[in-house]
Amino acid sequence: MALGEPIPMLDSIARVTGSIQYLSNLRLPGMLFGAIARSRVPHARLLGVDTERAARAPGVRAVVTGALLAPHAFIGGNDKGQPIVAVDRVRHAGEPIAVVAADDRASAVAAAALVEARYDERPAVFEPSAATRPGAPVVHDDHPDNVYAHFKLRHGDLAAAFAAADHVFEDTFTSPTAQATSLEPHGAIAAWQGDQLTVWSGTQAPWALRAVLQKTFGLADGAVRVVVPPLGGGYGAKSPPFLEPLVAAIARRTGGRPVQIVLSRAEEFVTVVKHAATITLKTGVRRDGTLTGRQATVRWNGGAYATASQTLVEAGLVRVVGPYRFQAVHVDSIGVHTNLPPSASYRGAMQSQTTWAHESQMDMIARRLGIHPVELRRKNLLRDGDHFATGETMHDLHFVECLEAAARGLDAAPLPPRTATKSYGRGYAVMMKNPIGTSRSQARLRRGADGKVTLYTSTVEMGQGAHTALAQIAADALGIPVGHVRVVGPDTSETPFDQITVASRSTEMMGAAVRDAARKLKEKLATAPPHADVAADGEHATHFKLDPHTAQGVTAADWHQGAGAAEVEVDHETGEVRVVRYHAAAWAGRVVNRRAAELQNLGNVVFGLGPTLMEEVVIEEGHVANASLYDFRDYRIPSFRDIPHALTGECLEAPNAQPSGLGEMTLPPVSPAVAAAVEDATGVRITDLPLRADRVLRALEEKRR
Amino acid sequence: MIRLTVNGAAREVSSAGATLLAALHDELGLPSVRYGCGVGACGTCTVLVDGKPMSSCLLYAGQAAGHRLVTVEGIGTPERLHRVQQAFVDAGAFQCAYCTPGFVLATVALLDENPAPTAEQAREYLSGQLCRCGSYPNILRAVLSLAQKR
Repeated sequence: MALGEPIPMLDSIARVTGSIQYLSNLRLPGMLFGAIARSRVPHARLLGVDTERAARAPGVRAVVTGALLAPHAFIGGNDKGQPIVAVDRVRHAGEPIAVVAADDRASAVAAAALVEARYDERPAVFEPSAATRPGAPVVHDDHPDNVYAHFKLRHGDLAAAFAAADHVFEDTFTSPTAQATSLEPHGAIAAWQGDQLTVWSGTQAPWALRAVLQKTFGLADGAVRVVVPPLGGGYGAKSPPFLEPLVAAIARRTGGRPVQIVLSRAEEFVTVVKHAATITLKTGVRRDGTLTGRQATVRWNGGAYATASQTLVEAGLVRVVGPYRFQAVHVDSIGVHTNLPPSASYRGAMQSQTTWAHESQMDMIARRLGIHPVELRRKNLLRDGDHFATGETMHDLHFVECLEAAARGLDAAPLPPRTATKSYGRGYAVMMKNPIGTSRSQARLRRGADGKVTLYTSTVEMGQGAHTALAQIAADALGIPVGHVRVVGPDTSETPFDQITVASRSTEMMGAAVRDAARKLKEKLATAPPHADVAADGEHATHFKLDPHTAQGVTAADWHQGAGAAEVEVDHETGEVRVVRYHAAAWAGRVVNRRAAELQNLGNVVFGLGPTLMEEVVIEEGHVANASLYDFRDYRIPSFRDIPHALTGECLEAPNAQPSGLGEMTLPPVSPAVAAAVEDATGVRITDLPLRADRVLRALEEKRR
Repeated sequence: MIRLTVNGAAREVSSAGATLLAALHDELGLPSVRYGCGVGACGTCTVLVDGKPMSSCLLYAGQAAGHRLVTVEGIGTPERLHRVQQAFVDAGAFQCAYCTPGFVLATVALLDENPAPTAEQAREYLSGQLCRCGSYPNILRAVLSLAQKR
């Protein structure tokens, strides 16, 4: 029985011998290398881009600017949206203004440095609060107030809910701009043959990218083929189509020669970032701890282009509420343009910022009412049969279980006693996230003449172990050894449609499509000759849409659920916070691969330590000041030094349950659990991420005074 | 032309001024030596230089001439994995595996220097290798499993 088995990833040997062909390893005959010239200013009319010196530089074969791309100058063909390369305006420092293709990377980079531009600089704005003030610089003329999205959730009588409360608490929480920082940067290769375009890309969204490229260049359906090699990490940031149209644009000018572009680390920071967020929660509660109503206002910093942000801002409506019972909930989720790089998904999309807010406020409420934080949650957590803020009846909920499992994992050992300079504390958090509303996956299974089975899937393997899990699901459904299954894809000319590899959907949705294909293959095999080549297609789809004005309706068939419990040590002399023990619990439904599932849980906690303790993109006058991993003053991600000595996790399952996504679930609780532990250890409450040492020290000093 | 000794073989690269990373990855086409940060902070591009782990993005090809360079291609094959590679497979010590060659080589160097490291020593020695997927717990388990085997 393959299901549940902790088998190694199918291509483990290639992974440890370093022979995996990531995008940057791919070489095509005649391939050129591209480099991007970028805007030096955050906001300006682009008066002209002079590429003459660049074009004459050694090894250069093609140059392109935005002006040359008309009528195909905009991503997705939306001329009010994001240009492939800036046309007559630049809206953030680092925005592409020209692209060069040359015989080798060094020549391309040298040539890009020779591109000159003339700017008519304009005032720029970087904070949503400043951007929405009257008279603020306007980033896009069709949004004079810089608001590109304002979604609303309206459920119940909020005034009555607040009237029924003994206390109404209003608190504001912030998360900064951050960067997904996959160790493998973004990269793509494009090659044209007439009006046929092939793109190799480290993308999480092959079919979505195919559609965008077809629209961008006005091509017939089927004219674009997208091939995806294994990714060196994605974490949501490789889902937007920001780089590929640009690579395709320059490749169109090389007379059929492919062009490869791989971003540098510094370029990553000006290509795609995590939404900074300011979240105000106004929450009514009775003195016995029963929550009555919540009003949430979320302001997201979408950066210069909302291409990948609209649907995320809308998702913020259900993600900010929290897994709790309320009589009434009102949410305003607002996307604001600024002159910063465009925002998109970052692991635990929008849920990372929202869980920080709603769980932090739960702890503040608990402290104010004198109720234990776990008890306050237990009292209010949604259970089967309850209504959520969308009005839908919830079922198959395991929030209480997850919370109790996380707490139990930590409470097994006693809290260390305070010393002269260090104190210890504990904190707990729960998270709830909806899967994406429109979600369709197709799979093909083929039994070859040799009896082995090939799974054709457009699910992207980015280290989460998706291909291995899907092979196990196929093997289990067909009753064959998993060693007889090989996985092919993504390649849109060979592997059928998949929505996208994000939001922890693949094991669940593609897994169901695989089971469907397996059922159909078994039927066909029953009557086929023994060595015949037989294939069958399977599909699984869901489609949920909430009311566009009130966000009422059914969000999902099931929800993603997780919790965490943190124990921290705070150094009162340095302000340094160390997470010394952490126990995570995630609802898994049915574990497909125990080893991979456990590693997802622990890996998520490690990832979550980043935004909690150290990750923030520092902006100085519109420029990213720390666009490097060089030292502690630059952008930092967790290392071995930051890992809790005791880091454990568990997957909650139930008989007859289906697999539930694990790609993100134990990440969002990390920040609020750690902040709660810091408060438990020191009495100070910090409402802004990250919990840097200087912030903690300042808070400790203020408390002393 | 610059002559480099890579995995025991004499290889020629065209430019002394290119980084060793570019020479190994771009020119010699070794897939295991990868770009991560370009400033020696992430350890993704680690190679062994006379047995010591160094970030190949911080060395010029010219500087590396005359030294014994080892990449993960030189320590094991798919048919015969190095014991460190086998331990990583057994412990599931990777996810996207982009950082894995760097970790494997750093572990080889660690065990050469200290055949039975404690968890603390292993963490400290490997703190220069970053893993964004967060596989550190399984990596530590792999390393300590080798320490006990002595």
